[in-house]
Amino acid sequence: MTPEIVELLANLEAAGYIAEPATATALYLARATQKPLLVEGDAGVGKTELAKVLARLVGTELIRLQCYEGLDVQTALYEWDYPRQMLRLRIADGRGEDASALEARLFSREYLLERPLLRAITHSGGPAVLLIDEIDRADDGFEAFLLEVLSDFQVTIPELGTIKAEHPPYVLLTSNRTRELGDALRRRCLYLYLDHPTFEREVRIIRARCPEARGALPEQIARFLQGLRARSLVKPPGVAETLDFTRALRLLHQDSLDADVVSQTLGCLLKDRHDLEALSPAEVAALVASSREARS
Amino acid sequence: MIGGALQRGVTGELAPALARFGSTLRAHGIAATVRDEIDAVQALGLIDRDDRDEVGSALRIALKIPREAWTAYDRLFSAFWTGADLIEPPDLPPQPPPRERREPPRLLSWDPVRRRMSEPDEDADNPGGTREGTRPAASPQALLRRKSFDASAWTAQEMAAMERMLARLAHRLATCRSRRWVPSVGMPVRGRFDPRRSYRRALATGGEVLRFARRQRAVEEPRLVFLCDTSGSMDAHTRFLLMFVLALRRAARRAELFAFNTELVDLGRDVVAGKIRLTLDRLATRVLDWSGGTRLGESLATFASCHLPRLGGPRTIVVVLSDGLDRGDPAELASAVKRIRARVRRVVWLNPLLGDPRYEPIARGMAAALPFIDCFAPAHNLESLERLLPQLVV
Repeated sequence: MTPEIVELLANLEAAGYIAEPATATALYLARATQKPLLVEGDAGVGKTELAKVLARLVGTELIRLQCYEGLDVQTALYEWDYPRQMLRLRIADGRGEDASALEARLFSREYLLERPLLRAITHSGGPAVLLIDEIDRADDGFEAFLLEVLSDFQVTIPELGTIKAEHPPYVLLTSNRTRELGDALRRRCLYLYLDHPTFEREVRIIRARCPEARGALPEQIARFLQGLRARSLVKPPGVAETLDFTRALRLLHQDSLDADVVSQTLGCLLKDRHDLEALSPAEVAALVASSREARS
Repeated sequence: MIGGALQRGVTGELAPALARFGSTLRAHGIAATVRDEIDAVQALGLIDRDDRDEVGSALRIALKIPREAWTAYDRLFSAFWTGADLIEPPDLPPQPPPRERREPPRLLSWDPVRRRMSEPDEDADNPGGTREGTRPAASPQALLRRKSFDASAWTAQEMAAMERMLARLAHRLATCRSRRWVPSVGMPVRGRFDPRRSYRRALATGGEVLRFARRQRAVEEPRLVFLCDTSGSMDAHTRFLLMFVLALRRAARRAELFAFNTELVDLGRDVVAGKIRLTLDRLATRVLDWSGGTRLGESLATFASCHLPRLGGPRTIVVVLSDGLDRGDPAELASAVKRIRARVRRVVWLNPLLGDPRYEPIARGMAAALPFIDCFAPAHNLESLERLLPQLVV
């Protein structure tokens, strides 16, 4: 393995993110080639968390742009602070200030409201981590606009001129695949698909994030989760749910899985009524029993 | 040994080796462009080329292999690594099977001697004559509106009038507003004040804002997905429902059309805007087993797993045109409809049988699917389709 990837993997782990080697490879390649990284996967597999950990590792600011339907350039890139400009203008009117100086002042950075994309580009003192979350929720038009920003890392503001990034940010895009992304955007990024964790990795994640879970509990929980995900569920539980579940069990002072307690706390794992209804108490008990047995 | 070339790190050999790997992937139906290959060469320059797993995952990342293609990719990559690639012939030809070039069948033109593959008991299931009476009304158009679809004798004029009316109905759909704000054009009186453009304009009038610029909600059509049952029991209704969908598609650019009986066929590409007759003839060659039996649950499950991820979304409305007479497992149908419902704005089920006041949805499949349907409506004449329109708007 490349030493940089080994090191990154260890650093990620030290920061509390237990990653597959492929994840570290993708992060490393994205940083080295200065390309955005598109991360896809089911909800709760740690897409957003990856960006947070990366920001912590690089020791920089995490700038987050949450996408939604109807997101426009004014919210994503920049906008002039019109009320302040108007006020300034009225004050200047009374004083009789010089017009051209005033104009230069009104359209300066001082009156510019930087939104996430511009903030990532103008970030000083090293590259920022730009997280464009749930890009699949934004509409196609925004996606096309994003393509332009991501290819040059520069923005042209008519009143100010072109602003080019001193340090191109590390860009992570996440998608839940509620809609298929355009091919152009996909091709411009490197692509990482995050799967649900394997049993071994899930145990390590539980140990790293919930050190209060002692003894055989992490193994039992991980095995229970693997069994749960093997069923056909509307919304299979992700790592986030696993951790919630572990914390819930610890709050109830559990040191091993118990069918009754699991049934009562199942709401931490299954967030869909149909999933909850489809799982009968007997099935829960059987799953719990097999998770406990496999250990001994 | 192509893998060997990677390991030796001969840069000159890297690009040709990757180009060959890329074409192998393409031959197996995995899209990889030249741009991806360039990314891959760049990635290989950065990593340890002796580590098989690392090379494998780096190439997967740089070539942007989607999750669905991982199994195929892993197989191809291990062949590539050992240098044994390019020998095995592609076992999955990505092209769709060649279209049969035969005479446009007469199925759609109401030829009395049409081929049918349905069982006799299925015909017994089909009440067939569930029409509302053609009550006298004020205008010929009103009469036309009430005329039930399965009245098989239609004159050319009536057909033309119907097409025109359908096209007009479809037009009313295309005025849905999205949540996005866009600049209004002209001299709008409504909408949200847009300071940026207002002040820009004010430059021309010495800094005084004389005309307010505004922004308003963008017009954005919902995406309509039609799933048409073309089985024997729906025979009498299919053509008219398809005509409705095709007329709709002329106005609604984001309409998708699927036909199903025993299997699901994506008809999106066969639809020619504005040419309903030509399209119907084309469709007839594409849909196998026209007027055959139904496997409703299976077809909808195929739709849910293959097409829903691409088409589903908050502005998607799925319309199923079927009588719900299914020969498959009702539980499968219910779970398929449930999965679809979870990903779209609304599920509308048009059932021509519902036009009969005596009908109750007790067919097993229909009863199973009912809890997950937002709107269960008749579709036996134009009037009923007209009433449906509000349901097709987000």
